[in-house]
Amino acid sequence: MTSKSIGGGQKILVVDDEHMSDLMRSVLRRLETDGFKPVVVAPEGEFITGDDYEAQTLFAMETKRPSAVLLDVRFGEYDSDRFKGLSILQKIIDSDGSMPVLMFTQYAHGPYRDTAVTASLSAGGSVDFIDKLASPEEVVLRLRRLIGSTPEAITIGSLFEFDADNAAVYAIDNGRRELIREIQGMKLEILNELASAMYRSEGELVPFSRLERFSEGEDSRASLRVRIRELKVSLGKAVSREFGANELIINVRNRGYRLVNPSD
Amino acid sequence: MNGRIFEILRMVGIAVALIGLLLVVLSPLIGESITRGSLWWIEPVAYIGSGVFILGALVAFGAIQFNTRRIAEQSGSRTWSQITQDYFDTFAHDMGRPLRRILGKQREARALLNETGEVTQHMVSELLTEIENQAPNFRLMIENVRVLVDLEDADAEPAIEPVDVAAIVRNVSDRYTPIARERGLELVWWCEPSEFGLVYGDGSALDHVITNLVDNATKFAEGHIEIQLTRTENSYLVRVWDDGVGISESHLAHVFDRGWTPELSARSEKQSSGLGLFIASTLSEHCGGELLVESQQSNGASTGEHSTTFTLSLPLDIRPAATN
Repeated sequence: MTSKSIGGGQKILVVDDEHMSDLMRSVLRRLETDGFKPVVVAPEGEFITGDDYEAQTLFAMETKRPSAVLLDVRFGEYDSDRFKGLSILQKIIDSDGSMPVLMFTQYAHGPYRDTAVTASLSAGGSVDFIDKLASPEEVVLRLRRLIGSTPEAITIGSLFEFDADNAAVYAIDNGRRELIREIQGMKLEILNELASAMYRSEGELVPFSRLERFSEGEDSRASLRVRIRELKVSLGKAVSREFGANELIINVRNRGYRLVNPSD
Repeated sequence: MNGRIFEILRMVGIAVALIGLLLVVLSPLIGESITRGSLWWIEPVAYIGSGVFILGALVAFGAIQFNTRRIAEQSGSRTWSQITQDYFDTFAHDMGRPLRRILGKQREARALLNETGEVTQHMVSELLTEIENQAPNFRLMIENVRVLVDLEDADAEPAIEPVDVAAIVRNVSDRYTPIARERGLELVWWCEPSEFGLVYGDGSALDHVITNLVDNATKFAEGHIEIQLTRTENSYLVRVWDDGVGISESHLAHVFDRGWTPELSARSEKQSSGLGLFIASTLSEHCGGELLVESQQSNGASTGEHSTTFTLSLPLDIRPAATN
């Protein structure tokens, strides 16, 4: 599901004195792969302190207009800069209360958390924390959710593309998009639920209770089953395949359904 | 009160005490010089000397005591727990540093291999995978120690804030999905109702409890893990289910004991300190909830359905006013 369409070229301001480290490089690379534009704050000079980062961050907020900020808590080894990130956070929130900020921190606890929590609860602000050891995938996923951007289209494996705005699903064949006309109405609604859940979180299951409103009749569970089967057949036909019980749309232990990326 | 006064009192006290001591020591000489040829004065001077010594010593001691207490009161904003927390933060940061470097190198190496498409020795790619897999264990271990440090503080209160429980479950699930996949497990989560809304609770504690439960499930599941979030009228439930072999009834009572793990009791070596469930249970109670475990062990006669379920239940609102 990695594609340029996810980030859509949005700028991410990266404020971390360790931006040259291998760990941060892997995050920066991941951001680029997913179509984001990382903008790294890197003050120049000999003795750079947290204050230099603060000044340059606020300047970059004005000039670069990022969609979100990735911010470290600790700057340098000076004791006074141990929580510099939190004061930078405060300044960011003061200047733009709705700016999404993802903080790299091991300090998501204790008295220092208060500043960040207060900030995250301020008007429209969205602040989230993540451990620096988190995988680059996790970082980008959190950032994506924090920005709250919905993609133009959700790709399902390399075979399908779901376009919620235009209420359409396409089969992809060698880069060509072919509209699947058979899938409309309730079936499209069901696919929308499943694709959105998959986009939000890979492990998210759509429980029966949520899907049953797209089916009717006395035995709504059975009618839902029929709809899902039809949906699966229609999708399969479009790419000349037949999807088995454990492919594409799967019934998880009678809890609900889940969309999984099909193999190529 | 001014510290200078205590300083002066201390000096005066010590001087007086010294004079007293001197009087005692010199009492034979002084007594003799006053009443030549008679020892009548020796005793009273010695008595007076002892009295002066005791008085001086008491003043000096009192001054020192008061001053120490005063200093302690002035720095009272830094409580024991805060000092411990500061130490721990430094510790966690320093522990994390070598790990961040190793993990960074690992990711660079992996990216380079993917880019060049070079075929490497099996051992090398296995090493990279192992480093990748151990990183979350390490994160959890550091967190577990931190929580233990926090729980030692008897005055610690849960940090109550509006919490998006569904987002926390989602974050934990996302973190463990790649790990589960690596181990050939399917991890799914859902919440009912779908729009779960906010609760009042300690978000980081909740994250930590769920993380420990899911981490535990990934160690014992055979194929499936489920995380379900539901609510009742005034509480919410997080159910973590796995299809592992289950826990026998005799072991079930000890699951939340400090340092107990099925591996320990089975004497096989596996990566678990047994702290996770103990911490999860203690932390749940600390937040006004409870953590229960149920387990069905497989036996030959049954359909082969076996499982373990941990159910965390917490009040929807733990603010003190809400309970009145």
